[in-house]
Amino acid sequence: MSYHLFIINPFDTPLYSLTFLSTRPVSGPTSTLASQLPSWSASAFGGTVAALSGATSVKGSGPLGPGQGKEDRHVVMMIANASLDVVEDVQRTNGSMYLKAIDRFNEWTVSAFITPGNMKFILLHEPKNDEGIRLFFMEVWENYVKLQLSPFHNYRTPIRSPVFDARIKASAKRYL
Amino acid sequence: MSYNNVQARLSVFSTASQSSLDYIPSVGTPPPSGGRQSITPIPKASGSKNIYDRPLNKTRNAEVSMAAYTFLFSEVIQYTQKRVHGIGDLEKRLGLFGYRIGTRALELMVWRSEGGSKNPKRETRLLPVLYVVHTQLWKAIFGKTADAIEKSVENDDEYMIIDNDPPITRYISIPKEMSQLSCSALTAGIVEALLDGLGFPARVTAHSVPKEGFPFRTTILIKLDRSAMEREEALK
Repeated sequence: MSYHLFIINPFDTPLYSLTFLSTRPVSGPTSTLASQLPSWSASAFGGTVAALSGATSVKGSGPLGPGQGKEDRHVVMMIANASLDVVEDVQRTNGSMYLKAIDRFNEWTVSAFITPGNMKFILLHEPKNDEGIRLFFMEVWENYVKLQLSPFHNYRTPIRSPVFDARIKASAKRYL
Repeated sequence: MSYNNVQARLSVFSTASQSSLDYIPSVGTPPPSGGRQSITPIPKASGSKNIYDRPLNKTRNAEVSMAAYTFLFSEVIQYTQKRVHGIGDLEKRLGLFGYRIGTRALELMVWRSEGGSKNPKRETRLLPVLYVVHTQLWKAIFGKTADAIEKSVENDDEYMIIDNDPPITRYISIPKEMSQLSCSALTAGIVEALLDGLGFPARVTAHSVPKEGFPFRTTILIKLDRSAMEREEALK
């Protein structure tokens, strides 16, 4: 199962992205989710996505190969960016920072986290893992707060810190 | 040129004794009687610790020496003043400095208050946000709350945050020919960053409004953007 994390600044520019392949065994929820979705996905966007790339092929069980992950990259980014609309609608009224399962696109579920400074963390995931994702987001937030305290960081510049990257990967391994 | 700079800096401390360079360290050290201490130990260059290894709550109740702060701010103002034309420009630049502080202060402040909670919240309504500025932000930055929040009588979209004695400008005397200037423009920038981050874009300016007994009384005037007002209307 793969997870995709994007950190998007208030001007909708992605600053950081991470693809994480979880080795954790997946239990029931995934299959029920996948079986719920096709009726919806086949109607409106299913065909488009299939045409764009093999995103729907991810539905099959077993972890995603690294090569395949690369091919799906632009579709994943598109889904993440598309979910920003929903996030922005909700963030005006809903004060929660963690917005779980805010959007769905075929087999992908989108969860988001909005920091007080309006930086958005978008996570695409397949299995349901609310608590793990919450803890993961909290650690990403903590690391982000530390990162942005640096006087040399600017909220428009991409995040290239290797330590930040290593930290996020370690959190992902722990919770996802 | 460098020699001139040294002279200029010395004058910040004192105009009386500029003969000996040895004089600097003794003046630079904050008086021991103050009780306030500089908090952050300078990290060792060789150490493997980086900012990600330091807990964010460690410096939560830490205070910075007033002397060091005042010195830094006076340098900031001098630096800025050399690069601008006119008072408006100077205030704008100070505001930009403040904005950069504000974005950081906002994240850190909210992380410290909400980071441990299971369901962290952001403020989405205007009045609670202003209240956060008045208490939490002021406490985090100045160690005290602001003195008042007022709503403008004439304009619906204007709010004022009033500080009777802002610590950051306590030791700044404004020359007569620059009476327009308020160095609290820095604070205005901080407030603007906070409002922006929470989704209330606004134009924030600082004005000195002296009053009997409070010669340094400063008003931070918040003029909300139309979009912020519309949003607040829609939520009512």
